[in-house]
Amino acid sequence: MPDPTPSPAGGEIAAQLRGRPRRFEAAIRWALFLAAALSIFTTIGIVYELGRESLNFFTRQLWEDTNKQLAAPIGPDDTVLPVTRSGAALHPQDMIRVEDEVMQVLAVDEAALTVARAQQGTAAAAHAAGLDIYRGSRVRLVEFFTGTQWAPQIGKFGILPLLNATLIVTAIAMTVALPLGLGIAIYLSEYASERARRLLKPTLEILAGVPTVVYGYFALTLVTPLLRAIFGKDVVEVYNMASAGIVIGVLVIPLVSSMSEDALSAVPQSLRHAAYALGATKLETALQVVVPAAFSGIAAAFIVAISRAIGETMIVALAAGAGPNFTFNPFEAAETITGHIVRISSGDLSYDSIDYNSIFALGLVLFFMTLTLNIISQRVVRKFRQVYD
Amino acid sequence: MTRARWLWWLVMGLAVGLAGCCQGIAEPQTDGYRLLRTPTGTRYPTATAPAATPARSLLPPLDPADYSGDIIIAGSSTVYPLAERMAERFQEEGFRGQITIDSIGSGAGFERFCVSGETDIANASRPIKDSEREACRALGREPIEFRVGTDGLAVVVARDNDFVDNLSLDELARVFSSARTWADIRPEWPAEPILRYIPGTDSGTFDFFVEVVFDKDEEPILTADNLQMSEDDNVLVQGIEGSPYAIGFFGYAYYEENADKLRPVAIEGVLPDAATVEAGEYPLSRPLLLYSAASIMQRKPQVAAFIHFFLTHVNEEILDVGYFPASAEALEQAMRQWLRAVGEAP
Repeated sequence: MPDPTPSPAGGEIAAQLRGRPRRFEAAIRWALFLAAALSIFTTIGIVYELGRESLNFFTRQLWEDTNKQLAAPIGPDDTVLPVTRSGAALHPQDMIRVEDEVMQVLAVDEAALTVARAQQGTAAAAHAAGLDIYRGSRVRLVEFFTGTQWAPQIGKFGILPLLNATLIVTAIAMTVALPLGLGIAIYLSEYASERARRLLKPTLEILAGVPTVVYGYFALTLVTPLLRAIFGKDVVEVYNMASAGIVIGVLVIPLVSSMSEDALSAVPQSLRHAAYALGATKLETALQVVVPAAFSGIAAAFIVAISRAIGETMIVALAAGAGPNFTFNPFEAAETITGHIVRISSGDLSYDSIDYNSIFALGLVLFFMTLTLNIISQRVVRKFRQVYD
Repeated sequence: MTRARWLWWLVMGLAVGLAGCCQGIAEPQTDGYRLLRTPTGTRYPTATAPAATPARSLLPPLDPADYSGDIIIAGSSTVYPLAERMAERFQEEGFRGQITIDSIGSGAGFERFCVSGETDIANASRPIKDSEREACRALGREPIEFRVGTDGLAVVVARDNDFVDNLSLDELARVFSSARTWADIRPEWPAEPILRYIPGTDSGTFDFFVEVVFDKDEEPILTADNLQMSEDDNVLVQGIEGSPYAIGFFGYAYYEENADKLRPVAIEGVLPDAATVEAGEYPLSRPLLLYSAASIMQRKPQVAAFIHFFLTHVNEEILDVGYFPASAEALEQAMRQWLRAVGEAP
């Protein structure tokens, strides 16, 4: 047997074979990892911020100005407070605040309130005349999810009108977008000639690129008059959920069609050939073989489209309505969650006011809705995925 | 030359030519109100405008061209058209700086002026509240009120509405709170639901309406059915135009701009116009106000100059904008405030 003693030349070869130092490679890998991690940090940041402010909203006492003032100065022991007649109506059991002292209303008179002083751990003190009286309200979770009136200024915190409007607008958008989007995708992948495809795809890109504020005005100036002409001016209001829903559907069509077309193209040709070989027509192949095979991708497309429609803000802010309204009639005006957030915050919010805290709670609800949809989408995709060879 | 190059030169030539000739078309047209442009740049209202009582100008003369810098204004959507007109004129007459005006509601305007201290002037269609005054003082700003005009808050319906002509204050309260259909107000009116379009809660117009009609209680109006709220009065105009059963309210200028599609409702038998508003007969007349502070006016002389210009020339523009002039005494009082704020003896 030859003796395998390493020669000096062999040492150099061995060093070469060990490979060049890849410090640069390691740095690039870390940079790319950080870029990906940024998305995680952003999500964590969003959830933290929403959660913290919403916790404020649900746990703290919120004070609203009643437009009432003390009519005369009071001492630390007075239990009957003279107040101005104007302003909001107060009721027994209400909590009120004057300066730093919290009191509970026991009885209400024309121009006086009987109160229990120094509630909630605050100290009784003398107060001057003319001070503002604030009424306290606490949002209960049950009321938040089941109440049918949203009016934070007067202590009504039921999210149902806003949620209902969001869901109706999304439903209308989906009845427009899903059939049309899927139809376009089937046409593009099964039937379209090269020339047709060269024309259609850029057009869809343009449709996807139109700013949503332009879509909003399109809804207001074209779709609403059209609906009013078809259904009558007294049936369809100037601001209504239907025209906002239709236009959101149009906005979302390119999304549905491009994702569905990707899914349909991923189905191998062998399946189609097999169907033709069995004597199926093109339509039968497309609808009964290809679409079911691409189902998971199409379902993912649908769910992304629904998420987009739920979060759409500008179109509903312009065309759907400017006041919470609990109704199932799509031709009436009603404000969605996103439209409400925009309207309230466009008028300059002061930090820690009722409106400011409430929009974070609304944002959290939206976040959970889209999170749920994402989870469902992943489950559906995993369950129905077909892997080909 | 090649064809492409020839085409390029033709297009360039056309563009330059159009730019040159259309400069003239872009000049502001003179209309019946603005007749004269004297060499000094001032304009005078013609005899066709109802005579606005001219206030004696207590102020020393001032040339806008001497000032530059920025002026940041925000607040009432009612005062917005007037402030915008005066700012335009101020700039036309030589002001070299930048003026920005945001229409966000009186409440929001005070927020920016007194709490975050971002603005130099707050526009308001309601007087400042005590809590807002306190907040301003905490920032070192003692708010000074300048009365610049009067608004007759117009309660409007669409032109298609042929049944509502007059509402008492009590009926007005019910229209905007508990009534469901028009027939609930008067049985002879149609039994159609009332569609309500009102300014949002950040708006001074809303505060004023609630104060006069509901004695400062917001609950009845905020719990009414079919309620649409927006700080943007144009949104309200569009909504009211759209249905004969709609009703809403906003500053008189927004009604006047859309007088072809809207109709004002008489309140207690009185329609808003120059005579009834100035005499105080119209129940919903209210002041148009500017708030600033001496500290700001002294630190930023362009702000003082703008307010000076505003007070001197507001009566020439206010009728055209769609509001009504403040009384001569109120304007003179504002001018005295100005003099005191800049440190000159009244």
